[in-house]
Order: sequence, then structure tokens, then C-alpha cells
Amino acid sequence: MNKTKISIVLGLMCVALTFGICLQIRTVENSNVKVAQTYEENNLRAEVLKYKEKYDNIYQNITQEEKKLEEERKKATQNNSVLEEQEAQINNANKLIGLAEVKGPGVIVTLQDSKKSSDKVLNLNDIIVHDGDVLSVINELKNAGAEAISINDQRIVSTTAISCDGNVISINKEKVGSPFVIKAIGLPESLAALDRPGGYLEYLKKYDIGVSLEKSNDITIPKYSGKLEIKYGHTVESQE
Amino acid sequence: MIIIAIILGCILGAILGMNAPMISYTYSSYLAIAVVAALDSVFGGIASVINKKFDIKIFISGFFGNAILAILLKMLGEKLNVDIYLAAIVVFVGRMFVNLGIIRRYYVEKWSKKFSKKDNKEG
Repeated sequence: MNKTKISIVLGLMCVALTFGICLQIRTVENSNVKVAQTYEENNLRAEVLKYKEKYDNIYQNITQEEKKLEEERKKATQNNSVLEEQEAQINNANKLIGLAEVKGPGVIVTLQDSKKSSDKVLNLNDIIVHDGDVLSVINELKNAGAEAISINDQRIVSTTAISCDGNVISINKEKVGSPFVIKAIGLPESLAALDRPGGYLEYLKKYDIGVSLEKSNDITIPKYSGKLEIKYGHTVESQE
Repeated sequence: MIIIAIILGCILGAILGMNAPMISYTYSSYLAIAVVAALDSVFGGIASVINKKFDIKIFISGFFGNAILAILLKMLGEKLNVDIYLAAIVVFVGRMFVNLGIIRRYYVEKWSKKFSKKDNKEG
């Protein structure tokens, strides 16, 4: 009798121990942490991860609150045609300036650094994707009638800057690295003309940069996560 | 019986751990130190079995008590801005090595006795 008791207790303790170990291993693997050489490096990394987590939590809260606001607005504007019209106008404008998620048909362009070994080329700059390349592709997409564009989930808005930032590219002041997944919503047939002979994608292919373009009927482009505000510009009173 | 229970417990715990929802990174360091404390008491338990001083109550209380105490100490250290958990890890791992030493000595002596008996019989 005593023996069964002991074995049950030991079994339960083993459950607790292995459960803890497995959970810890998975957590550490998931957060991509390696034990670094120096103590400071470890601490810094832990701090960054903690702040990222906090940011994610707060961002989720904001999204929830925004949903609530949306519902409230809907409730308030019900049964009032003028308000409903204005609500529709606001929604439309939000889609245009990038403050609302957009869904629709379009194309997905992927640019990836060349897989050529770096010691086989004369100029290293030839085998990586530059900010200028991304800019040119975006420009061509806009020219082909894209309504909403995102690069690696960074929405392109009117204040977006695309600039070189070392071996990565900074978009909306956020660092974005290869592969660049550029999603654009618009008429897929006209957007797909991007890979025409003599187009920019062909130019990139010449340098062995990984380029792919696919049409899709269901693309979701996230909304701009930053702040859009006008500080210095004032509205002009119409003079009549 | 006991060995079967231990193996079953290990398998069950591994399955649960693989499927459980991920904890956030902020709390993973607490879990890590609790795991080290629990491992320490497991080795302590094995060593006490060898010394014939094993008491299940002390073992269980040590298993959970040490883990909880280690977590509390780490929290206190964070409040005071002292890395107390380093001391806890040093103590736990140090004790682990001592206990491992006891276990190793016991088994080495056992086996060497066995072999010397065989030699005596043959000789």
C-alpha cells in the first residue's frame, strides 16, 4: 500500500518536472534565444524580448478597442441616412490613406537576395536587394493601378520612406530584411504586367536576384500601424 | 512498480509539455530556475535512498518548496536589483554535483566489489 502511494507521488513529480522542462525548451526555442557569450548581451536580449511582448500585448488591446469603437459607431449611425453616408465616407477614406485593413485581388511580388556565393561575384552590391529596387517595384505597381501596397506587412502610406539601413531596408522607420514580400491590391492582370520584357523585374533577374510574381484573388493588406498626423499643415478656408 | 510510475510520469509530462500553451518569455526565467531546483531535489532524493535516509515527506516538500522558494527569491532579486537567482543556481548546481558524486561512488564501489569477488572465485 505504501509502495503504491510512493509510486503515485513519484509519478506525479516526474510529470511536473518533465512538463516544466519541455515547456521551457519550447519557449526558449520559440523566442530564438541562444545563450550568448557575455552576460550583458543576454540581459539586453531579454530586455528587448520583454518590451516586444509588452508592445504586442498593448497592440492587441488597441485593436480590440478599435473594434469596439467601430461597433459603437455603427450603432450610433443606424437609422440616420446622413450619418451613414458620412460613416461610409470615413471608411472609404481610411482605406485610401492606409488606416484600415484592405482585402481583394492582386499580386504578390517576392524579391530575395541572390543565392550566389558572395566570393563568386566581383561586386557584393550586385547580389542583394537594395532600397532603390524596392522603390522602383513599388513605383511600377502604383503605375499599374495598385490601390494598396504592403512590404513584409508594412503598409505603404503617404508618409512612408523607403531607405537603406545597412544590410536591411528601413520602411516606415522599421527594419525589413530579405525576402521582401510585396503585396499589392488592384486588377491582377494589369499588375502582373510587371514582369514584361524590359520591366524592372527582368532587370533584377539579370542580376540573379530571386524574383517571383503570382496573382492571387485573396490578398489581405494590414493597416498602417504608426501614427498619421498633420502638425504644420492647416486647412485652407475657401474664399468665396 | 516505482520505475514504471516514473517512466509513465515522464512520458505523460513530456506529452503535456509539448502540447501546453506557450508561456510568455517574461516568465520563462522563473520556470527555468524552478526546473533547476526540482532537478536538484530529485538528485538529492536518489542520494538519500543510497544513504538509506530517504523520507518521502521531506522529498516532496523539498521538490515543491525549493522550486517555489527559488521563484520567490528571483522575484525579490528583481525588486532589489540584485541577481539573487545566480546564487540559487550556484547552490543548486553545486549540490547536484555533490549528490551525483555520492551516487557515482556508491555504484563504482558496488561494481568493483562484484568484480573482485569474481576474481577471487576464479583465482
